[in-house]
Amino acid sequence: MFDPIMEQILAIARDAWAFMAGLLIVVALLGGLYFVLQGTAGMAFGGSRMTSMAIIGVVGLVIIVLFAFLFLPQIGELLKSFQPKAPF
Amino acid sequence: MSDASSLLLTFLRDAWMALAGAFLAFALLAGIAQMLRVSSASVLGANLWVWESVSALLSIVVIGLFAFLGIPQIVNALQSSLPGGVGCGPISELGTLASGLIGGLAALRMLKAAFTSMLSASIGGASTFASALIECGEAIFGMILAGVAMPLAAWFLGTC
Repeated sequence: MFDPIMEQILAIARDAWAFMAGLLIVVALLGGLYFVLQGTAGMAFGGSRMTSMAIIGVVGLVIIVLFAFLFLPQIGELLKSFQPKAPF
Repeated sequence: MSDASSLLLTFLRDAWMALAGAFLAFALLAGIAQMLRVSSASVLGANLWVWESVSALLSIVVIGLFAFLGIPQIVNALQSSLPGGVGCGPISELGTLASGLIGGLAALRMLKAAFTSMLSASIGGASTFASALIECGEAIFGMILAGVAMPLAAWFLGTC
């Protein structure tokens, strides 16, 4: 009885997942471009702190995106393996 | 009576499975929404926002573990304490039906509370873990009351 509803919910959730993953990539790319601009500007007028902050920002962004795309599916698999049957 | 009981319990089991699946889907959506928030906040340099998102992500994992590991154990423990077939005759059958239904409804209510909390976290709101725990406490209290009331009702209505 609940299967058709469940399929509808899962279809919407899949679409939402794809949308948010795409949005995450777009935000990360824009952020990366911003940090590259910051780094090149810093290098151009000798702002070493600005350049190093930009490099750290790019590395942090890459780590966050990798964390999102590698860690979240693993958490999902973990929770899926814990998904209980009805306890009654 | 047993047919009605099995029909109702099958319905509740299907509802449990659907709710658990939806819970999992929304947990993952909430996770990626928080990661999106972290990345945008780190680009903007908003430290507080980053830490809020990280703590929301942790709370999502905790709620998920509570829903999938804690609630079934609580329901199993309480259902084993509910007296099923006290007395004999129709009151015994009614007792069995009632204990099954009480356990099923309480389990669904607890999962619904965790699901609501997860839904709130997935749309960027506060993960209301406290209200989920309050609803779980109410369900547990109801099951304990039922465990006390059912033998009394059987005694009042007449036992063998």
